[in-house]
Amino acid sequence: MSRQEVRETRRGARSQRTRTSSRLRGWGHHHRAMCLDSARRLIRYPVGSLLTMLAIAIALVLPAALWLTLDSARLLDAELNESATLTAYLASDVDEAQAVRVNEALQAHSAVAATRLITAAEGMAEFQQALGLTDALSRLDDNPLPASVVVTPRDASPEAVSVLAGELEAVTGVADVRLDLAWLERLRRLAELGQRLTLALGVLFGLGVLLIVGNTVRLAVESRRQEIEVVTLIGATHAFVRRPFLYSGAWYGLGGGLLAWGLLTVGGEWLATPVATLAESYGARYSLPRLDAMGSAVLLFSSTLLGLLGAWIAVGRHLAEIRPR
Amino acid sequence: MIAFEHVGKRYGGRFEALANIDFRVRRGEMVFLTGHSGAGKSSLLRLIMRLERPSRGRVLVAGHDIGRLHASQVPFYRRQIGVVFQDHQLLFDRTIYANVALPLEIQGVEPREAARRVRAALDKVGLLHREKALPIELSGGEQQRVGIARAVVNKPALLLADEPTGNLDPQLSADIMQLFEDFNRIGTTVMVASHDLALIARLRHRVLRLREGRLVADEEAA
Ligand SMILES: Nc1ncnc2c1ncn2[C@@H]1O[C@H](COP(=O)(O)OP(=O)(O)OP(=O)(O)O)[C@@H](O)[C@H]1O
Ligand SMILES: [Mg+2]
Repeated sequence: MSRQEVRETRRGARSQRTRTSSRLRGWGHHHRAMCLDSARRLIRYPVGSLLTMLAIAIALVLPAALWLTLDSARLLDAELNESATLTAYLASDVDEAQAVRVNEALQAHSAVAATRLITAAEGMAEFQQALGLTDALSRLDDNPLPASVVVTPRDASPEAVSVLAGELEAVTGVADVRLDLAWLERLRRLAELGQRLTLALGVLFGLGVLLIVGNTVRLAVESRRQEIEVVTLIGATHAFVRRPFLYSGAWYGLGGGLLAWGLLTVGGEWLATPVATLAESYGARYSLPRLDAMGSAVLLFSSTLLGLLGAWIAVGRHLAEIRPR
Repeated sequence: MIAFEHVGKRYGGRFEALANIDFRVRRGEMVFLTGHSGAGKSSLLRLIMRLERPSRGRVLVAGHDIGRLHASQVPFYRRQIGVVFQDHQLLFDRTIYANVALPLEIQGVEPREAARRVRAALDKVGLLHREKALPIELSGGEQQRVGIARAVVNKPALLLADEPTGNLDPQLSADIMQLFEDFNRIGTTVMVASHDLALIARLRHRVLRLREGRLVADEEAA
């Protein structure tokens, strides 16, 4: 190889390299241009864009709200677990003085945190008040209710509680011990059902978002058909043609996510007071859950991703159909 | 540069638009393609652009059998040839400048470098002063020149034109042909489909004549 040739080859290699890096910069520039251009196109038709975003937002709000509610139900569950109690019903022949002694005996148990004696008369009064059946029951000559002791265990785990229940049953004067756990168990089942329901709804409404974005992007592709044909004629790759539509899909998704976020926040505010009042009437502290930073990020990220995916599917299907004449 | 080897093209499996076409075009040549309406001129050019694939035979461009190009390679192949369409195929919502810059945008050429090349191409066709105009604001002849600027902005080795003077007056047609000759003079291989026989005769280049899908004459440049 002559010196001349070597020099030529080197120059060739160098120009190849600068060409690659300048191509890369050109490519980055095109991404930036398409990102802004697709945003500008959305802004040019504000009503249509907003309607699409609103449809996405509505599809996102329901599963997001359900998910939030379930999340807070888990917290509530933990709190309820701490307040788990047992009720020891005393034998019907135990009189009031004996009941006090039994109560003391139960309180002395090492696994018991606190006890509260409910005498037969108190139990009757509570029962009547709860049911509002004063007349019917007051006509009964004899009080049929036994005295009872409400026991708060030190360790509220289900195993410890059931062991304690067995031990308390052996105490003289105690006829029967009831665990107030059954309804807690039922609540957990309900929560599990709710989780599955949320998942199913999430998938369904996620598909809905895909369809909404897909349909909007399909119309956009149709309206820019001539442009697509021309750029294909002069050497555009599928990726190039797809790019602006993917960006508009992502913008729709992001916009829908932001609107959903707004709806959830406003809706939360609106419901906060009645929910707090309701909870208070049950003697519970419960405030409506709010989207924290993490939840907001997840919502926006997944809505953007769904928009992108919907656009991808729609463009992919249509590019196959469009062939330059 | 271009070689057709016993090429046949059928549309819909029955109608034969081209039959047994066999010719070669050397690098740097300028060739006219002529024939009556429906003779197959556009079909032949579409085969070179790889908008269609031959039903029979092979089409070679720069030594590559382009019928066998993979779909993913086709865009990159098309970037190497400049095409002028009879109906311009301009984008009417973009300025003249943006239309001419389109091939460079597709290839990811940096904006600064692209601007230099776009201006050079517009200058060549005499429309530099209209770069901010929209295609609608130009006359038919000017629009055709924008199409030519777009076809050459990438300095292609092969330039194809399908009826570039389709409905222009004789003077404009001559100007457009002059442009193609200029590009041919700097080494570009040029193939122009046209049925403007008077103009073709005057320009003294090689002429390929089609009739009902067959190559009936190949007249070397006088
Ligand atoms: N996509 C197609 N499908 C079916 N037939 C076609 C198709 N394209 C062209 N043809 C037929 O092939 C024949 C050749 O068409 P072509 O467009 O190549 O002719 P042409 O020489 O360019 O004519 P013109 O001068 O009118 O443009 C015509 O009879 C036309 O009807
Ligand atoms: Mg034609």
